[in-house]
Amino acid sequence: MKIGVIDYGASNIFSVVRALNSLGANTSVVKKPEDFNGIDKLVFPGQGSMGSCMSRLNKAEMVIPIKEFIEEKPFLGICLGLQVLFSGSQESIEEKGLGVFSEEIKKFESPENTKLKIPHMGWNQVDFSQDHFLWNGLESGANYYFVHSYLSCKLKEEFIYSKTEHGQIFNSAISKDNIFATQFHPEKSGKLGLKFLENFLNWRP
Amino acid sequence: MSLTIRIIPCLDVRGGRVVKGINFKDIIDAGDPAEAALRYDQEGADEICMLDIDASYEARSTTLETVEKIANQVFIPFTVGGGVKSIEDVEILLKSGADKVSINTSGITNPKLISEASKEFGSQCIVVAIDAKYDSENWHVYTHGGKNKTKLEALSWAKEVEQLGAGEILMTSMDKDGTKSGFDNALNSKLASILKIPLIASGGAGKLNHLVDAVKLGKADAVLAASIFHYQEISIKEVKKALQEEGLSTRL
Repeated sequence: MKIGVIDYGASNIFSVVRALNSLGANTSVVKKPEDFNGIDKLVFPGQGSMGSCMSRLNKAEMVIPIKEFIEEKPFLGICLGLQVLFSGSQESIEEKGLGVFSEEIKKFESPENTKLKIPHMGWNQVDFSQDHFLWNGLESGANYYFVHSYLSCKLKEEFIYSKTEHGQIFNSAISKDNIFATQFHPEKSGKLGLKFLENFLNWRP
Repeated sequence: MSLTIRIIPCLDVRGGRVVKGINFKDIIDAGDPAEAALRYDQEGADEICMLDIDASYEARSTTLETVEKIANQVFIPFTVGGGVKSIEDVEILLKSGADKVSINTSGITNPKLISEASKEFGSQCIVVAIDAKYDSENWHVYTHGGKNKTKLEALSWAKEVEQLGAGEILMTSMDKDGTKSGFDNALNSKLASILKIPLIASGGAGKLNHLVDAVKLGKADAVLAASIFHYQEISIKEVKKALQEEGLSTRL
């Protein structure tokens, strides 16, 4: 089984590759349409701006191959890889997302009078809202590592698999059919994160 | 719930070995960095920090091999600093497995490095380290591993690097470092009150209550220590338990 890891050229994908390799996965970097050949599962890691990410993917002619892939095969989006699944983001009006979910990605609300720090960076609690194969062996309420300034808040309950609070409650894991995505970084969340990635490797949606 | 207080063991590394000095001097050998990092991960460290302590002074680049070795077996956030002089240095460290890169001396001689690096790689991976020493009513910034005094005042320099795009401040009190007499809570609480980005307190950990006080009195978001963890004088678990008893949230 070959695990493709998307490299859109502006994010550090090495930690995800290292974590998957440590679990014995056969990983392969996906940078251009031809790289999709022979890929069984796809991981989309990323940090930063959705607008610049989508524009890089468009330039590399990667948007259509990704859309085709996620129609049938297992996909894991991490951080920005969760956000690109939405129709768009508050941060960039001109670039559209992949549109798996019709809602929008919003910026964290940070009222002036609070000591709330944005980006939301560090370990925070992930509360499961539904059972899922990818939660196997994991318990609701444990801490995972986050780094982000934008979030998903509005979404149909049926797609929400966990929630987290940082001044406001947001969706920290979402899923639809063969697609799963987390706002947290499993590759940086220690043992629990590795267990989650192992579950993804074993997932047969 | 909110973000947990982070406990960060630091590996001071020279020539691929962990070393430890007192007040930035009298260096002694203290073991293999990758072994130490793995042990910290298993003990519940929230991040690992590795500083190539004299890379800047002797103009050597950080030991990429050590970085890679640690990154291949430790899957929690990993910060690397020491001798970072250019965008290329930042990039090669990130490629070798660092999640965050800490900039110290070169950020002072060339502040553009901080703004350019945070623009290029994102603020979240740029930590600015400041070595400060109290001197006639002010904390002054020192460079080159504490060897050279600058005209910069620590609080205003911290605020400036935040505006330049730093994602975190790692503040080391040179007065406290290696003394095991507690963190500089006066400096840290002043700093925390003016910063919007997280503050990592460093220098002075000796007893359990020093780490608790760094959070309660010093208002730090994260606490960094080297020798107490390295020589197993205090375990990371003990620190977390003590923080929890004070009503502070921790992971594990």
